[in-house]
Amino acid sequence: MDLKIVENATCTFCGCVCDDIRLHTDGQRIHRADKACVLGKAWFLNHTGEKKYPAAIIDGQEASLDDAIRVAAEELCRADMPLVYGMSNTTCEAQKECVSMADRLGGVVDSHTSL
Amino acid sequence: MGGKVTCTLGEIKNRADFIIYWGGNPAECHPRHFTKYTLMQKSKFLPRGRKDRTMVLVDIRETKSVRAADIFLQVRPGKDFELLTILRALIKGQKVADEQIETTGLTRETLEDLVLRMKSAKFGAMFFGMGLSMTRGKHMNSAALLTLAAEMNAFTKFVAMPMRGHGNVTGADVVMRWQTGYPFGITYNRGYPRYNPGEFSTVDLLVRGDTDCAFIIGADPGATMPRPAIDHLARIPTIVLDPHVTHTSRLAKVHITTAPAGIAAPGTGYRMDEIPLPLRPAISSPYPSDEEVVRRINAAIDEHPDWRHAQPQMLTNQL
Repeated sequence: MDLKIVENATCTFCGCVCDDIRLHTDGQRIHRADKACVLGKAWFLNHTGEKKYPAAIIDGQEASLDDAIRVAAEELCRADMPLVYGMSNTTCEAQKECVSMADRLGGVVDSHTSL
Repeated sequence: MGGKVTCTLGEIKNRADFIIYWGGNPAECHPRHFTKYTLMQKSKFLPRGRKDRTMVLVDIRETKSVRAADIFLQVRPGKDFELLTILRALIKGQKVADEQIETTGLTRETLEDLVLRMKSAKFGAMFFGMGLSMTRGKHMNSAALLTLAAEMNAFTKFVAMPMRGHGNVTGADVVMRWQTGYPFGITYNRGYPRYNPGEFSTVDLLVRGDTDCAFIIGADPGATMPRPAIDHLARIPTIVLDPHVTHTSRLAKVHITTAPAGIAAPGTGYRMDEIPLPLRPAISSPYPSDEEVVRRINAAIDEHPDWRHAQPQMLTNQL
Protein backbone atom coordinates (compact mmCIF):
# COMPACT_ATOMS: atom_id res chain seq x y z
CA MET A 1 0.00 0.00 0.00
CA ASP A 2 1.30 3.42 -0.93
CA LEU A 3 1.27 5.71 2.07
CA LYS A 4 1.54 9.46 1.66
CA ILE A 5 2.43 11.77 4.53
CA VAL A 6 0.67 15.12 4.90
CA GLU A 7 2.72 17.45 7.11
CA ASN A 8 1.17 20.24 9.19
CA ALA A 9 -2.38 19.14 8.55
CA THR A 10 -5.11 21.08 10.34
CA CYS A 11 -7.52 19.37 12.72
CA THR A 12 -10.97 20.97 12.81
CA PHE A 13 -12.52 18.86 15.53
CA CYS A 14 -12.41 21.44 18.33
CA GLY A 15 -11.73 25.16 18.59
CA CYS A 16 -7.99 24.62 19.11
CA VAL A 17 -7.63 23.96 15.35
CA CYS A 18 -4.17 22.38 15.81
CA ASP A 19 -2.19 22.85 12.62
CA ASP A 20 0.81 20.62 13.33
CA ILE A 21 -0.72 17.18 12.69
CA ARG A 22 1.16 14.63 10.62
CA LEU A 23 -1.24 12.42 8.67
CA HIS A 24 -0.40 9.06 7.09
CA THR A 25 -2.86 8.40 4.29
CA ASP A 26 -3.40 6.09 1.35
CA GLY A 27 -5.79 8.54 -0.31
CA GLN A 28 -8.87 6.61 0.86
CA ARG A 29 -8.33 6.47 4.60
CA ILE A 30 -6.12 8.12 7.20
CA HIS A 31 -4.12 5.48 9.08
CA ARG A 32 -2.17 7.58 11.55
CA ALA A 33 -2.55 11.07 12.93
CA ASP A 34 0.67 11.93 14.79
CA LYS A 35 0.54 14.69 17.42
CA ALA A 36 -3.28 14.69 17.40
CA CYS A 37 -5.09 14.23 20.72
CA VAL A 38 -7.63 11.44 21.40
CA LEU A 39 -10.44 13.52 19.94
CA GLY A 40 -8.39 14.50 16.88
CA LYS A 41 -7.32 10.91 16.21
CA ALA A 42 -10.92 9.72 16.32
CA TRP A 43 -11.91 12.58 14.01
CA PHE A 44 -9.27 11.84 11.38
CA LEU A 45 -9.47 8.05 11.50
CA ASN A 46 -13.26 7.88 11.32
CA HIS A 47 -13.60 9.46 7.87
CA THR A 48 -12.99 7.54 4.66
CA GLY A 49 -13.00 8.24 0.95
CA GLU A 50 -15.47 5.39 0.41
CA LYS A 51 -18.95 5.96 -0.91
CA LYS A 52 -20.83 4.99 2.24
CA TYR A 53 -23.99 7.01 1.69
CA PRO A 54 -26.08 7.89 -1.38
CA ALA A 55 -25.19 11.22 -3.05
CA ALA A 56 -28.51 12.58 -1.86
CA ILE A 57 -31.76 11.52 -0.20
CA ILE A 58 -35.15 13.11 -0.90
CA ASP A 59 -38.10 12.06 1.30
CA GLY A 60 -36.21 8.96 2.40
CA GLN A 61 -35.48 7.85 -1.18
CA GLU A 62 -32.05 7.83 -2.81
CA ALA A 63 -31.77 10.66 -5.33
CA SER A 64 -29.27 12.37 -7.57
CA LEU A 65 -27.36 15.48 -6.53
CA ASP A 66 -28.97 17.53 -9.32
CA ASP A 67 -32.49 16.63 -8.17
CA ALA A 68 -31.61 17.37 -4.55
CA ILE A 69 -30.23 20.79 -5.45
CA ARG A 70 -33.36 21.57 -7.48
CA VAL A 71 -35.75 20.48 -4.71
CA ALA A 72 -33.70 22.34 -2.07
CA ALA A 73 -33.84 25.58 -4.08
CA GLU A 74 -37.60 25.18 -4.66
CA GLU A 75 -38.33 24.63 -0.97
CA LEU A 76 -36.11 27.55 0.07
CA CYS A 77 -37.72 29.90 -2.44
CA ARG A 78 -41.25 28.85 -1.47
CA ALA A 79 -40.66 29.59 2.23
CA ASP A 80 -41.63 32.90 3.84
CA MET A 81 -38.97 32.69 6.53
CA PRO A 82 -36.23 30.23 5.62
CA LEU A 83 -33.50 29.54 8.17
CA VAL A 84 -29.84 28.89 7.36
CA TYR A 85 -28.26 27.26 10.39
CA GLY A 86 -25.10 25.52 11.56
CA MET A 87 -21.89 26.26 9.65
CA SER A 88 -19.63 24.79 12.35
CA ASN A 89 -18.09 21.81 10.61
CA THR A 90 -17.50 23.54 7.32
CA THR A 91 -15.09 25.95 5.68
CA CYS A 92 -15.21 29.73 5.67
CA GLU A 93 -15.68 29.61 1.91
CA ALA A 94 -18.89 27.60 2.37
CA GLN A 95 -19.97 29.86 5.26
CA LYS A 96 -19.73 32.89 2.99
CA GLU A 97 -21.99 31.15 0.46
CA CYS A 98 -24.46 30.39 3.28
CA VAL A 99 -24.68 34.06 4.31
CA SER A 100 -25.16 34.89 0.65
CA MET A 101 -28.01 32.34 0.52
CA ALA A 102 -29.81 33.98 3.46
CA ASP A 103 -29.35 37.36 1.76
CA ARG A 104 -30.84 36.07 -1.50
CA LEU A 105 -33.80 34.49 0.30
CA GLY A 106 -34.48 37.23 2.83
CA GLY A 107 -34.05 34.59 5.50
CA VAL A 108 -32.38 34.07 8.84
CA VAL A 109 -28.75 33.03 9.24
CA ASP A 110 -27.47 31.69 12.54
CA SER A 111 -24.68 29.51 13.94
CA HIS A 112 -24.00 27.25 16.91
CA THR A 113 -22.96 30.34 18.86
CA SER A 114 -26.59 31.19 19.59
CA LEU A 115 -27.44 27.86 21.24
CA MET B 1 -18.82 40.79 21.35
CA GLY B 2 -17.54 44.08 20.13
CA GLY B 3 -14.87 45.57 22.36
CA LYS B 4 -13.79 42.21 23.71
CA VAL B 5 -10.38 42.50 25.40
CA THR B 6 -8.50 39.59 23.92
CA CYS B 7 -5.33 38.47 22.18
CA THR B 8 -3.98 35.49 20.28
CA LEU B 9 -3.08 32.15 21.83
CA GLY B 10 0.52 32.83 20.80
CA GLU B 11 0.65 35.81 23.17
CA ILE B 12 -0.85 33.72 25.96
CA LYS B 13 1.68 30.97 25.31
CA ASN B 14 4.54 33.44 25.59
CA ARG B 15 3.33 35.81 28.30
CA ALA B 16 0.35 34.68 30.41
CA ASP B 17 1.51 33.90 33.96
CA PHE B 18 -2.02 33.73 35.38
CA ILE B 19 -4.71 31.65 33.70
CA ILE B 20 -8.34 31.19 34.70
CA TYR B 21 -10.59 28.58 33.10
CA TRP B 22 -14.23 29.26 33.90
CA GLY B 23 -17.00 26.72 33.24
CA GLY B 24 -14.99 24.48 30.97
CA ASN B 25 -13.19 21.16 31.00
CA PRO B 26 -10.22 21.62 28.66
CA ALA B 27 -8.53 18.40 29.83
CA GLU B 28 -11.28 16.44 28.11
CA CYS B 29 -12.77 18.86 25.56
CA HIS B 30 -9.66 20.72 24.30
CA PRO B 31 -6.93 18.20 25.24
CA ARG B 32 -4.01 20.11 23.72
CA HIS B 33 -4.95 23.54 25.07
CA PHE B 34 -2.76 23.17 28.18
CA THR B 35 0.26 21.76 26.42
CA LYS B 36 0.19 23.85 23.26
CA TYR B 37 -0.95 27.26 24.43
CA THR B 38 -1.51 27.92 28.09
CA LEU B 39 0.32 25.94 30.76
CA MET B 40 3.24 23.81 29.67
CA GLN B 41 5.06 25.95 27.11
CA LYS B 42 8.31 27.68 28.10
CA SER B 43 9.07 31.10 26.66
CA LYS B 44 11.42 34.07 26.96
CA PHE B 45 9.11 35.62 29.57
CA LEU B 46 8.21 32.37 31.33
CA PRO B 47 11.44 30.36 31.15
CA ARG B 48 10.29 27.72 33.65
CA GLY B 49 7.05 27.04 31.80
CA ARG B 50 4.42 25.52 34.07
CA LYS B 51 6.29 26.62 37.24
CA ASP B 52 6.02 30.26 36.17
CA ARG B 53 2.26 30.08 35.69
CA THR B 54 -0.71 29.87 38.04
CA MET B 55 -3.87 28.15 36.89
CA VAL B 56 -7.28 28.66 38.48
CA LEU B 57 -10.29 26.56 37.56
CA VAL B 58 -13.82 27.75 38.30
CA ASP B 59 -16.53 25.16 37.82
CA ILE B 60 -19.59 23.73 39.52
CA ARG B 61 -18.06 20.26 39.90
CA GLU B 62 -14.68 18.53 39.92
CA THR B 63 -13.67 17.50 36.42
CA LYS B 64 -10.47 15.98 35.04
CA SER B 65 -9.15 19.52 34.55
CA VAL B 66 -8.91 19.97 38.35
CA ARG B 67 -5.72 17.90 38.36
CA ALA B 68 -4.02 20.50 36.16
CA ALA B 69 -5.15 23.43 38.33
CA ASP B 70 -3.31 25.14 41.19
CA ILE B 71 -6.54 26.48 42.64
CA PHE B 72 -10.03 25.06 42.16
CA LEU B 73 -13.04 27.21 43.02
CA GLN B 74 -16.29 25.28 43.18
CA VAL B 75 -19.02 27.79 42.49
CA ARG B 76 -22.62 26.96 43.33
CA PRO B 77 -24.57 26.06 40.13
CA GLY B 78 -26.23 29.08 38.53
CA LYS B 79 -24.21 31.56 40.62
CA ASP B 80 -21.54 32.46 38.05
CA PHE B 81 -22.98 35.90 37.34
CA GLU B 82 -23.13 36.68 41.07
CA LEU B 83 -19.52 35.53 41.55
CA LEU B 84 -18.30 37.59 38.59
CA THR B 85 -20.15 40.66 39.84
CA ILE B 86 -18.69 40.19 43.35
CA LEU B 87 -15.19 39.90 41.85
CA ARG B 88 -15.78 43.09 39.85
CA ALA B 89 -16.70 44.86 43.09
CA LEU B 90 -13.80 43.37 45.07
CA ILE B 91 -11.11 44.39 42.57
CA LYS B 92 -12.29 47.99 42.95
CA GLY B 93 -12.34 47.75 46.74
CA GLN B 94 -16.12 48.12 46.95
CA LYS B 95 -18.02 46.65 49.91
CA VAL B 96 -19.57 43.21 49.48
CA ALA B 97 -21.77 41.72 52.20
CA ASP B 98 -20.92 38.32 53.67
CA GLU B 99 -24.32 36.88 52.77
CA GLN B 100 -23.78 37.87 49.12
CA ILE B 101 -20.47 35.98 49.05
CA GLU B 102 -22.14 33.04 50.80
CA THR B 103 -24.64 32.56 47.96
CA THR B 104 -21.79 31.71 45.57
CA GLY B 105 -20.60 28.81 47.77
CA LEU B 106 -17.16 30.41 48.30
CA THR B 107 -15.57 32.27 51.20
CA ARG B 108 -14.32 35.85 51.47
CA GLU B 109 -10.75 34.62 52.14
CA THR B 110 -10.73 32.60 48.90
CA LEU B 111 -12.02 35.49 46.84
CA GLU B 112 -9.65 38.05 48.40
CA ASP B 113 -6.77 35.69 47.72
CA LEU B 114 -7.95 35.33 44.11
CA VAL B 115 -8.24 39.08 43.64
CA LEU B 116 -4.72 39.56 45.06
CA ARG B 117 -3.33 36.95 42.67
CA MET B 118 -5.17 38.46 39.72
CA LYS B 119 -3.82 41.92 40.47
CA SER B 120 -0.25 40.75 41.02
CA ALA B 121 -0.15 38.83 37.74
CA LYS B 122 1.88 40.29 34.88
CA PHE B 123 -0.46 38.97 32.21
CA GLY B 124 -3.78 37.35 33.09
CA ALA B 125 -5.94 35.35 30.73
CA MET B 126 -9.49 34.13 31.29
CA PHE B 127 -10.99 31.33 29.20
CA PHE B 128 -14.68 30.64 29.51
CA GLY B 129 -16.60 27.60 28.35
CA MET B 130 -20.18 26.55 27.88
CA GLY B 131 -20.52 25.97 31.63
CA LEU B 132 -20.62 29.76 31.85
CA SER B 133 -22.18 30.85 28.57
CA MET B 134 -24.90 28.20 28.28
CA THR B 135 -26.22 28.10 31.85
CA ARG B 136 -28.51 30.45 33.78
CA GLY B 137 -27.70 33.99 32.71
CA LYS B 138 -26.26 32.86 29.34
CA HIS B 139 -24.75 35.78 27.39
CA MET B 140 -25.06 38.03 30.46
CA ASN B 141 -22.54 35.70 32.16
CA SER B 142 -20.15 36.04 29.22
CA ALA B 143 -20.64 39.82 29.27
CA ALA B 144 -19.87 39.93 33.02
CA LEU B 145 -16.67 37.95 32.53
CA LEU B 146 -15.56 40.08 29.57
CA THR B 147 -16.25 43.21 31.64
CA LEU B 148 -14.23 41.81 34.54
CA ALA B 149 -11.31 41.18 32.15
CA ALA B 150 -11.62 44.70 30.74
CA GLU B 151 -11.79 46.26 34.21
CA MET B 152 -8.76 44.27 35.40
CA ASN B 153 -6.73 46.31 32.92
CA ALA B 154 -6.84 49.20 35.39
CA PHE B 155 -4.40 47.09 37.45
CA THR B 156 -2.57 44.77 35.08
CA LYS B 157 -2.77 43.27 31.59
CA PHE B 158 -5.79 40.96 31.39
CA VAL B 159 -7.55 39.28 28.48
CA ALA B 160 -10.53 36.96 27.95
CA MET B 161 -11.36 34.40 25.31
CA PRO B 162 -14.23 31.96 24.79
CA MET B 163 -13.29 28.27 24.55
CA ARG B 164 -14.91 27.43 21.23
CA GLY B 165 -15.84 23.89 20.37
CA HIS B 166 -17.10 22.54 17.05
CA GLY B 167 -14.18 23.21 14.75
CA ASN B 168 -14.91 26.25 12.68
CA VAL B 169 -17.70 27.88 14.71
CA THR B 170 -15.32 30.83 15.19
CA GLY B 171 -15.10 31.08 11.39
CA ALA B 172 -18.90 31.31 11.20
CA ASP B 173 -18.83 34.26 13.62
CA VAL B 174 -16.05 35.95 11.68
CA VAL B 175 -17.67 35.43 8.27
CA MET B 176 -21.06 36.68 9.47
CA ARG B 177 -19.44 39.73 11.07
CA TRP B 178 -17.58 40.42 7.85
CA GLN B 179 -20.64 39.97 5.63
CA THR B 180 -23.40 41.44 7.81
CA GLY B 181 -21.77 43.32 10.69
CA TYR B 182 -23.25 40.90 13.25
CA PRO B 183 -21.92 37.59 14.61
CA PHE B 184 -25.07 35.35 14.67
CA GLY B 185 -28.86 35.45 14.92
CA ILE B 186 -29.32 37.63 11.83
CA THR B 187 -32.38 38.11 9.64
CA TYR B 188 -32.58 39.55 6.14
CA ASN B 189 -36.38 39.61 6.06
CA ARG B 190 -36.45 43.35 5.49
CA GLY B 191 -33.77 43.10 2.83
CA TYR B 192 -30.96 44.28 5.09
CA PRO B 193 -29.33 42.48 8.05
CA ARG B 194 -30.85 42.86 11.51
CA TYR B 195 -29.52 41.23 14.67
CA ASN B 196 -31.50 40.11 17.68
CA PRO B 197 -30.55 36.98 19.61
CA GLY B 198 -33.62 35.53 21.29
CA GLU B 199 -35.75 36.60 18.33
CA PHE B 200 -33.60 35.39 15.40
CA SER B 201 -31.64 32.66 17.17
CA THR B 202 -32.38 29.17 15.92
CA VAL B 203 -33.71 27.45 19.04
CA ASP B 204 -36.16 30.28 19.68
CA LEU B 205 -37.28 30.41 16.04
CA LEU B 206 -37.88 26.65 15.97
CA VAL B 207 -39.57 26.40 19.37
CA ARG B 208 -41.97 29.22 18.43
CA GLY B 209 -42.47 27.65 15.00
CA ASP B 210 -41.58 30.89 13.18
CA THR B 211 -39.56 29.41 10.38
CA ASP B 212 -41.11 27.44 7.50
CA CYS B 213 -37.98 25.93 5.91
CA ALA B 214 -34.55 25.10 7.33
CA PHE B 215 -31.20 24.68 5.64
CA ILE B 216 -28.78 22.90 7.98
CA ILE B 217 -25.07 22.66 7.18
CA GLY B 218 -22.23 21.28 9.30
CA ALA B 219 -24.45 20.74 12.32
CA ASP B 220 -26.76 18.11 13.78
CA PRO B 221 -29.52 19.94 15.66
CA GLY B 222 -31.61 16.74 15.55
CA ALA B 223 -29.20 15.31 18.13
CA THR B 224 -28.59 18.35 20.30
CA MET B 225 -31.60 20.67 20.36
CA PRO B 226 -34.58 20.60 22.72
CA ARG B 227 -37.49 18.34 21.71
CA PRO B 228 -39.94 21.06 20.54
CA ALA B 229 -37.25 22.49 18.22
CA ILE B 230 -36.58 19.06 16.69
CA ASP B 231 -40.31 18.45 16.28
CA HIS B 232 -40.60 21.67 14.29
CA LEU B 233 -37.63 20.69 12.08
CA ALA B 234 -39.50 17.48 11.27
CA ARG B 235 -42.70 19.41 10.45
CA ILE B 236 -41.13 21.83 7.95
CA PRO B 237 -39.06 20.99 4.84
CA THR B 238 -35.53 20.64 6.16
CA ILE B 239 -32.46 20.44 3.93
CA VAL B 240 -29.27 18.94 5.37
CA LEU B 241 -25.70 19.05 4.05
CA ASP B 242 -23.45 16.63 5.94
CA PRO B 243 -20.71 14.06 5.31
CA HIS B 244 -22.82 11.53 7.26
CA VAL B 245 -26.51 10.69 7.39
CA THR B 246 -27.24 12.33 10.76
CA HIS B 247 -30.21 12.44 13.14
CA THR B 248 -31.26 15.62 11.37
CA SER B 249 -30.95 13.94 7.94
CA ARG B 250 -33.44 11.29 9.06
CA LEU B 251 -36.14 13.86 9.72
CA ALA B 252 -35.21 16.04 6.76
CA LYS B 253 -36.86 16.30 3.35
CA VAL B 254 -33.53 16.57 1.53
CA HIS B 255 -30.13 15.24 2.57
CA ILE B 256 -27.04 15.91 0.45
CA THR B 257 -23.80 14.08 1.29
CA THR B 258 -20.73 16.32 1.12
CA ALA B 259 -16.99 15.86 1.58
CA PRO B 260 -15.82 16.38 5.18
CA ALA B 261 -14.11 19.78 5.54
CA GLY B 262 -10.42 19.61 6.42
CA ILE B 263 -10.26 15.88 5.71
CA ALA B 264 -11.40 15.67 2.09
CA ALA B 265 -12.38 19.27 1.27
CA PRO B 266 -9.94 22.20 1.28
CA GLY B 267 -10.65 25.68 2.64
CA THR B 268 -10.03 27.89 5.64
CA GLY B 269 -10.81 27.35 9.32
CA TYR B 270 -10.59 29.76 12.24
CA ARG B 271 -8.94 28.93 15.54
CA MET B 272 -10.70 30.09 18.74
CA ASP B 273 -8.48 33.20 18.87
CA GLU B 274 -9.68 34.18 15.37
CA ILE B 275 -6.56 33.16 13.52
CA PRO B 276 -7.40 31.76 10.06
CA LEU B 277 -5.63 28.52 9.17
CA PRO B 278 -5.55 26.68 5.84
CA LEU B 279 -7.02 23.17 5.86
CA ARG B 280 -4.94 20.44 4.24
CA PRO B 281 -7.20 17.60 3.06
CA ALA B 282 -5.51 14.18 3.15
CA ILE B 283 -8.05 11.99 1.35
CA SER B 284 -10.17 12.34 -1.77
CA SER B 285 -13.92 12.06 -1.44
CA PRO B 286 -16.50 10.90 -3.99
CA TYR B 287 -18.76 13.69 -2.72
CA PRO B 288 -18.67 17.41 -3.62
CA SER B 289 -17.57 20.00 -1.06
CA ASP B 290 -20.07 22.07 0.98
CA GLU B 291 -18.89 25.17 -0.84
CA GLU B 292 -19.69 23.68 -4.26
CA VAL B 293 -23.14 22.44 -3.24
CA VAL B 294 -24.19 25.73 -1.57
CA ARG B 295 -22.91 27.62 -4.60
CA ARG B 296 -25.02 25.42 -6.89
CA ILE B 297 -28.13 25.82 -4.69
CA ASN B 298 -27.58 29.60 -4.76
CA ALA B 299 -27.39 29.46 -8.57
CA ALA B 300 -30.66 27.48 -8.61
CA ILE B 301 -32.26 30.03 -6.25
CA ASP B 302 -31.25 32.79 -8.66
CA GLU B 303 -33.36 31.15 -11.36
CA HIS B 304 -36.46 31.77 -9.25
CA PRO B 305 -37.91 35.30 -9.18
CA ASP B 306 -36.27 37.56 -6.59
CA TRP B 307 -38.52 37.86 -3.52
CA ARG B 308 -37.79 41.57 -3.14
CA HIS B 309 -39.39 42.27 -6.51
CA ALA B 310 -41.90 39.46 -6.29
CA GLN B 311 -43.51 40.68 -3.08
CA PRO B 312 -44.86 44.08 -4.19
CA GLN B 313 -46.21 42.41 -7.32
CA MET B 314 -48.03 39.87 -5.19
CA LEU B 315 -49.57 42.71 -3.21
CA THR B 316 -50.73 44.48 -6.37
CA ASN B 317 -52.23 41.28 -7.68
CA GLN B 318 -54.21 40.87 -4.48
CA LEU B 319 -55.48 44.44 -4.67
